[in-house]
Amino acid sequence: MCGVDCTPGINATKDSDWSITMSNRIVIDPVTRIEGHAKISVHLDDNGTVTDAEFHVVEFRGFEKFCEGRPYTEMPGITQRICGICPVSHMLASAKAGDAIMAVSIPPAADKLRRLINLGQLVQSHALSFFHLSAPDFILGWDSPPEKRNVFGLIESDADLARAGIRLRQFGQEIIWLLGGKRIHPAWAVAGGVRSALTPEAREQILAKLPEAFATARTALDLFKRALPGLAREIKMFGNFQSLFMGLVAEDGTWEHHGGKLRFADSTGEIIADEIEPRDYLEVISESVHPSSYLKSPYYKPLGFPDGSYRVGPLARLNICERMGVPQADAELANFRTFGHGAVTSSFLYHYARLIEILAGLEYIERLVADPDMHSTELRADAGINSLRGVGASEAPRGTLFHDYTVDANGLLKKVNLIVATGQNNLAMNRTVAQIARHFVKDNEITEPMLNRIEHGIRCFDPCLSCSTHAAGRMALHVQLIGPDGTVLNEASRD
Amino acid sequence: MTTRRQSHYLADLLVIGYGNTLRRDDGVGPRVAEAIEEKKLPRVWTLSLPQLAPEHGECLSRVKVVIFVDAAIDVGEVRLRSLKPATSSRVTTHAVSAPTVLAIAREYFDRAPRAWMLTIPGSDFSFGEELSPVASKAVDKAVAKIVEFVSPSKKR
Repeated sequence: MCGVDCTPGINATKDSDWSITMSNRIVIDPVTRIEGHAKISVHLDDNGTVTDAEFHVVEFRGFEKFCEGRPYTEMPGITQRICGICPVSHMLASAKAGDAIMAVSIPPAADKLRRLINLGQLVQSHALSFFHLSAPDFILGWDSPPEKRNVFGLIESDADLARAGIRLRQFGQEIIWLLGGKRIHPAWAVAGGVRSALTPEAREQILAKLPEAFATARTALDLFKRALPGLAREIKMFGNFQSLFMGLVAEDGTWEHHGGKLRFADSTGEIIADEIEPRDYLEVISESVHPSSYLKSPYYKPLGFPDGSYRVGPLARLNICERMGVPQADAELANFRTFGHGAVTSSFLYHYARLIEILAGLEYIERLVADPDMHSTELRADAGINSLRGVGASEAPRGTLFHDYTVDANGLLKKVNLIVATGQNNLAMNRTVAQIARHFVKDNEITEPMLNRIEHGIRCFDPCLSCSTHAAGRMALHVQLIGPDGTVLNEASRD
Repeated sequence: MTTRRQSHYLADLLVIGYGNTLRRDDGVGPRVAEAIEEKKLPRVWTLSLPQLAPEHGECLSRVKVVIFVDAAIDVGEVRLRSLKPATSSRVTTHAVSAPTVLAIAREYFDRAPRAWMLTIPGSDFSFGEELSPVASKAVDKAVAKIVEFVSPSKKR
């Protein structure tokens, strides 16, 4: 079973249950259409004004402990099983950490093939986020009935668009399958390189489907841009605030998704830290653990917590890069930047950034499959353990992913640190919820329009919490009502 | 994910076992699917997945019958029951429910198979790969139920 979409007869839940507690805390539980389980608390003062909000994440950090004692070479296979949503991202970051432990430069063909599979992952994930999770809200209307405001409503409204969206998702999945041999959890990238190249038949298969993929991406971009004039309010209130942005960029400042170095930029677009080797991330990033969430909340160390909070993912990647490096996406990037002064600060425009990244992804896929290296037999560097620590960083669809391993002389893991994108965006999600709530919460009243928009505010970040369990009947929703003195005033579980 | 015998028109039965194999009993669904795969039953297709996703609707549209296999915490025994596609509500995440993926098969790909849900009792969802004794014992029963389901004497 999935997090919030339950098997009928076992534990069906309402679309957005809510309650107002005695301590003026509004709890919305769960947020539909995001991965895993989560709840939101909106804190009010005595006057009923929103003071703060929290996006609680019911997720566990035990994977790091679970991995200790295992050979680092097993990690690409193990860590990709953490998440059924972005297994490719974990596999790649893990393989890169293995490269670092071996202290090897992988063959150029292996790097290109890893890039190809990462682009497949990016396209499929972004396609699902836009077409299935977010588009129904602004195509069908924020205040259309919840039972219609979903992919089935989208089919009724525009069947061709809905089907094109799912085919675009399949296109990305197919690239993963053609390379990895399996669509989920491919044990394909390994420390030192990759196991296999792209076959000529697979290349032809990808090329044959590229035109439709491009057409769908363009259709979605046109549709979104046509809708933008009517979305001024959402752009203004959906997580529109100053923060830092972080991600990988290429040496020349071009958009990156797999290699490159870390860059931080602020809301004016000024670069405040640059050319940071991913292995040195601890020099610029610290992690805060909030008692209300199992997610780590990383922040930019020089500015401290919470001033150093930053956003990652599509919006950040487009804000920190100087160009996309491919013509169609570069033209879109120029238009995207008209929505900001320096950096684009509205989290609502994660959607726009996601669509531009789909387009860029397709352009890079087209380039890569034409490269003769795709069929190379030089795919793997071999070495022993030459470093007792290795860090791998890669851009997952939702943002920068770090795998940091410390091993003993036999290559067994002594320590594992994983920093995922949803954790890095946690603080920004809290601020987004608070900002939206301030516009809608009046006299302790909760309205459907407010709930719809808060849910969408979270979906802008497309958070993934799917490393929790998914057993049928296990909703793991637990609500506590806590008074100003910390007393639990009320609590409830849904099962 | 494991698959076999892919063709334009697929098998009579698709067994989809899904769950997180790093969370002990949550991974019982994939274990059952793998056990069925090893039996090489005629015209039976299997999928082992961490979770269901919208694109699995296409697979469903190409089989006559599907059995979803998942862990459950609120059942005392292995239980097989029929399943209907979701109505228009409750969609959708990157991961979707079995009724939702059935509805996607029907709405996107024009056909939903007859569907069953096989739930298996689980008690330990902590980190690890080994099943609890409860779930481990239930795997054999679940496999037997599926084998019985596809036996020629059974009419579904």
